[in-house]
Amino acid sequence: MIDHIWTALVMLSSWKLMLTITICSIYGLFVGAVPGLTATMAAALLVPFTFFMDPLPALVSIVTMEAMAIFAGDIPAALVRIPGTPSSAAYTDDSYELTKQGKAELVLGVDVVTSAIGGLMGAVVLMTSAPLLAEVALMFTSFEYFWLAALGLSATVMIASTSPLKAGLALLVGLFFSTVGLDITLGYPRFTFGSTELLNGVDFIPAMIGLFGVSEILRNMGSSHLQYPITAVKAEKIFSGVAKTLWKYKLNMVRAGGIGVFIGILPGAGADIAAWIAYAVSKRFSKEPELYGKGAIEPIVDAGTANNACLAGDWVPALVFGIPGDSITAIVIGVLFMKGLRPGPMIFQQQPELIYAVYISFIIANILMVPFGYLAIKLSGTILKVPRNILMPAILMFCIVGSFAINNSFFDVGVMLVMGILGYFFENNGIPVAPIVLGMVLGPIVEQNFMVSMIKSDWDLTQFFTRPAAAILAVLTILTWLAPFLPALARRFRSGAAAA
Amino acid sequence: MKISDTVVGAGFVTAGALIIAGTLNYPTLAAGHPGPSLFPRILGGLMAVFGGLVSVQGLRNRDTTEDVEWLLLYKNTAFINAMFVLVGVLAYILLVEKLGFLVMGALLLFVIMWRLKVSPVKALIVAVVFNTIVHFLFAKIMRVPLPMGILWW
Repeated sequence: MIDHIWTALVMLSSWKLMLTITICSIYGLFVGAVPGLTATMAAALLVPFTFFMDPLPALVSIVTMEAMAIFAGDIPAALVRIPGTPSSAAYTDDSYELTKQGKAELVLGVDVVTSAIGGLMGAVVLMTSAPLLAEVALMFTSFEYFWLAALGLSATVMIASTSPLKAGLALLVGLFFSTVGLDITLGYPRFTFGSTELLNGVDFIPAMIGLFGVSEILRNMGSSHLQYPITAVKAEKIFSGVAKTLWKYKLNMVRAGGIGVFIGILPGAGADIAAWIAYAVSKRFSKEPELYGKGAIEPIVDAGTANNACLAGDWVPALVFGIPGDSITAIVIGVLFMKGLRPGPMIFQQQPELIYAVYISFIIANILMVPFGYLAIKLSGTILKVPRNILMPAILMFCIVGSFAINNSFFDVGVMLVMGILGYFFENNGIPVAPIVLGMVLGPIVEQNFMVSMIKSDWDLTQFFTRPAAAILAVLTILTWLAPFLPALARRFRSGAAAA
Repeated sequence: MKISDTVVGAGFVTAGALIIAGTLNYPTLAAGHPGPSLFPRILGGLMAVFGGLVSVQGLRNRDTTEDVEWLLLYKNTAFINAMFVLVGVLAYILLVEKLGFLVMGALLLFVIMWRLKVSPVKALIVAVVFNTIVHFLFAKIMRVPLPMGILWW
């Protein structure tokens, strides 16, 4: 193991990688701090660049970027009451209320330190749990993979922050896109409408760029002249009082870190949901729940830790099973495939140095977060003043060229455009777009493993339940479906018991 | 563009039905087991059911909120700006091979910035400089074959 860590460290210490880490940190901080640009969009736009990198810098760049972006989302939340990314939405009101009370420095200081601590907690769990799970995963067959993917699909719908029905519809749309092209059993072309470009299916990266980039540009078209009333921050004061606050809420941080990583490991639920759940749990156990939403620092500690802890957790199922923990790791899986690497337990044996490099880059990114975060806070006034009527067209250009660069195909630019319109329409009608991505990634896994299992067992459905590991995963999946009804069932059971 | 859940749900019911209809002529596996059609049919069926439920929810909540005033769309700045983006990208796809990236990319950037009320001179300078940087980054450093068109660089 020491060998692998050493190899990874040597690889990471090249000046090229240091430069990559620095550039991606700045990129992540900028994207996170500008409202309307999300970490997922940033990851999708990074893909064309990773195309020209080796696997190691490609993964490192995504890790660094996402860690920085999820923290930087806190900056506009505190200063202008608009979360920079959805992951900061849960505690935006509290942050802004504190800013109005003149405590902007404390909020931002707590934001940056809890982000770093949460990120490090996530990294530790990733490092310890992923290799163990990979051992287990070696025993998995198509039956288990089918259930894992089904569990991912179910979790996406059931833990969605909006209506599960609408999240389900988005997921079905994504799954449908995954069926386009030659089918697995007979090689029969499905939904290609005679187009040769569609025989290989809808390419995932242009679709992502459309769903998360173009749709966001369309949404920003109405508010291009928006000027934010910016609160000036004394960056040099941000760390005063942070240690005292964090010491007071040290147990909150441990709890929130645990929640964050757990939500991360669950396939399909990302940092935004981790923050909401950590917020809710924090309020439930707080001594002063009446202050929540009106300027409490406690939920900021909780949710701020949880969303960054979640990020490393998201990598666990992605690396171990090839099942994305959130939409960013869905992109990571896409990148690995482009590099000819198949995420799964074998990668832990064949390219351990790559896995160790991911671990170490999580640690580096979260340590760098404090000085880089300080700089981002210092420059926040300037970042928030970037004129959107120039920024949005510039991002559109990156979207177009990025979509084209994947296959050098204008068809993909068309895919990007259609997905952009779809994403815009969906979001405006309360239908989340992240499940579309998960559907596109998980669709082939579900279908292939189901068909292979069925053919293997000569259409004997009981095989899906008789293998022990498959049975456990099946029960977990079914429990996820029942989750919304469990509180009602428990109530009925309790009242029934009381009546008896 | 928020339209009522009733209509959105109905749209998904239609889409689900169309997906199932599209699979009717798909071949089956040996012994008549379903093959390529199985998964899309399940998806289409679920989509129709979920869409139906969203529709019913919309009806129950009497969700008739339509903040789209269809007849006044031509006056809606956000809508027109968005159309500029959509038509712009379409025009880019159709014309870039003829005009080349250096010209078409800069043109697209300029038109959208101008539409978003950046002053014409500033828009022109930013469009040309930024587009050239993008060209250099992608075509020269990353070797993406961006169309040359009428300029040779």
